[in-house]
Amino acid sequence: MASVKLSNVWKMYGQTEAVRDLNLTCADGEFLCVLGPSGCGKSSTLRMLAGLEHISAGDIYFGDKRVNDLPPKDRDIAMVFENYALYPHKTVYENIANSLRLRRMDKALIDQKVKKAAAMLEIEPLLDRRPAELSGGQKQRTAIGRAIVREPQLFLFDEPIAHLDAKLRAHMRGELKIMQRDLGTTMIYVTHDQLEALSMADHVAVMHEGVLQQFGTPHEIYSQPVNEWVAGFIGEPPMNFVDCEMVEEGGSLCLTHPHFTQVLTEAQAAIVRAKDPAGQRQVRLGVRPDEIAVLAEALDEGIKARVLVTEPLGGDMLVDLALGDSKLLAKTKPDFAGQRGDECSLTFDRNRWHVFDRASGLAYF
Amino acid sequence: MASSDVVQYRSPARRLVEILTVVFLAVYLVWTVLPLFIMFVSSFKDLLEAFKLPPTGDWAGAWVFFDFTPTVQHYVDLFADNNFGTYLANSIIASLGSALISVVFGAMAAYSLSRIEFRGKRDLFFWIISTRMAPVVAVMVPLYAIFRGAGLVGTLPGLILAYTTFNLPFAIWILKGFFDNVPYAIEEAAMCDGCTRFQAFREILPLVAPGIGAFLVLCVLFAWNDFLFASIIGSGGAKTLPVATKELVQPQNIQWGKIMAAGVVTTAPMMFLGLLIRRYLVTGLTMGAVRE
Ligand SMILES: Nc1ncnc2c1ncn2[C@@H]1O[C@H](COP(=O)(O)OP(=O)(O)OP(=O)(O)O)[C@@H](O)[C@H]1O
Ligand SMILES: [Mg+2]
Repeated sequence: MASVKLSNVWKMYGQTEAVRDLNLTCADGEFLCVLGPSGCGKSSTLRMLAGLEHISAGDIYFGDKRVNDLPPKDRDIAMVFENYALYPHKTVYENIANSLRLRRMDKALIDQKVKKAAAMLEIEPLLDRRPAELSGGQKQRTAIGRAIVREPQLFLFDEPIAHLDAKLRAHMRGELKIMQRDLGTTMIYVTHDQLEALSMADHVAVMHEGVLQQFGTPHEIYSQPVNEWVAGFIGEPPMNFVDCEMVEEGGSLCLTHPHFTQVLTEAQAAIVRAKDPAGQRQVRLGVRPDEIAVLAEALDEGIKARVLVTEPLGGDMLVDLALGDSKLLAKTKPDFAGQRGDECSLTFDRNRWHVFDRASGLAYF
Repeated sequence: MASSDVVQYRSPARRLVEILTVVFLAVYLVWTVLPLFIMFVSSFKDLLEAFKLPPTGDWAGAWVFFDFTPTVQHYVDLFADNNFGTYLANSIIASLGSALISVVFGAMAAYSLSRIEFRGKRDLFFWIISTRMAPVVAVMVPLYAIFRGAGLVGTLPGLILAYTTFNLPFAIWILKGFFDNVPYAIEEAAMCDGCTRFQAFREILPLVAPGIGAFLVLCVLFAWNDFLFASIIGSGGAKTLPVATKELVQPQNIQWGKIMAAGVVTTAPMMFLGLLIRRYLVTGLTMGAVRE
């Protein structure tokens, strides 16, 4: 078991900066998710950890040991590849057993370990097949099996369940999390799926264009995004953004928009004043769809908007709203009665909204 | 998936094409097999019977061809008087030796060229295949001079080296294509499993085995059938079957019986090898194109 530390790590492919000045730590036995959109440098990071890619600058430590110059076989890691990378000419059994055979482990012990892993992944009936005869989900489980028999000090999983159907993915999320808890092995897990990251990880590192945006627990990432990009990336359906002015009015801070004026709470106002005491501020208000309450009738005190379309989702209902020029998405209950073109009134949840500096994108709160 | 059968529709033209195809195949079969057949049968005849002619030149005279008492005397003579045992061994050692060396070094070079990026790689690769562009005769004289200087003329190692000179670039060229078709991720997985770089290379060898097998056969065939190198570089101590056969043609005495027997001894192993690995050879040569 080992903790992992990346310090000022860069990865350059020629002129392309795939990873920029990355600092990350992952405690021993922890489940760390690296989350980001396609092409943000997640795989590059993982491959540097595995030793498959040169580190352009910076250092990587496993425990106290600097591993920059260690080849993969000396790092004691087990990796699950984005494309599985199974040995096509070997059976599932041989694929899983390969690393143990390389270590010249006793045959009976190998057999026992392979069977145990196969049982855990429910691929026992497939042990004699070759990868070409497996479905995507079975290949993926074989790839995971190959990693877990090793009992390495670090797991590196690169979008291992990205290609599965939604139901199997939900199942595997649970399975993987249980497996990691049972084995207690440090895990670095790359994904572009926020649901995976939020549901499985102890800590999430959100990356964008090679830069670490935010590092924190899933709860922190969701409820206290550090900037507009993270706020917009995390959450499904995504957060609504509305451009506002922030002005002092009668001793309190207000957000003004052609269609509404909203007052910040005392605590929020204090944060803003402390961060930058300048008077007038160009800001962007961020509210998640489920933090907007919609009423189908136009009340005097609410913010007035017009219904564009309603999207029933079974247990919930999404309502597309027009607020002047801007559009908002609200999540309500399916009994919402508004129809296309109806006037309705909104209330924002003041305690959970976010305000960002429009120029820098950084969050005030 | 759709079946791979080509759908065909009946029409008079189609029928004609079918007939022509059969006729063509029949003629082609006679054309290719008849000489081998005559060689095979004649090797069991003594000289008088071999040259017996029918009294009249009509088709009925063809039975004369089969009118003989079989004898294995030519084969016995070949091996007892003419040392064909040694020449057969020379042929086998020279062709297998050069094929093995070419494939071992060729696979390693092809692997490096397939996997590693370095400056001048394209030029290097072109240089390697360009050595095969000149006709063999063009380099024969300088090669002979070099080999003589090194004391390699008339020795088996010399002959093996000469064949390898020509097989190796070919091996690199063909095998690189096979390695290019194996995803690098498999070696990466092997390295994560605990392989060194070289072990990872060995790990993927089974995936290029059909290519290597097919190429091994091509190398063997090249050396086995070669006459030019064998007669110039190998002359003296490393005589191979084709050269030895040629020497049965003497100005005052062409030993037809022995020549026929020598022909059978030379052809049979390769035909047998071809039958043995026929399926392998076909998959090997098409695999590079088919795998994703
Ligand atoms: N071998 C390479 N040569 C050049 N550029 C590369 C190479 N590998 C990756 N890149 C670039 O580096 C950046 C990061 O790539 P990386 O594979 O780490 O992305 P990722 O976050 O894993 O994306 P995905 O979710 O699509 O797998 C991309 O812009 C990509 O184009
Ligand atoms: Mg990736």
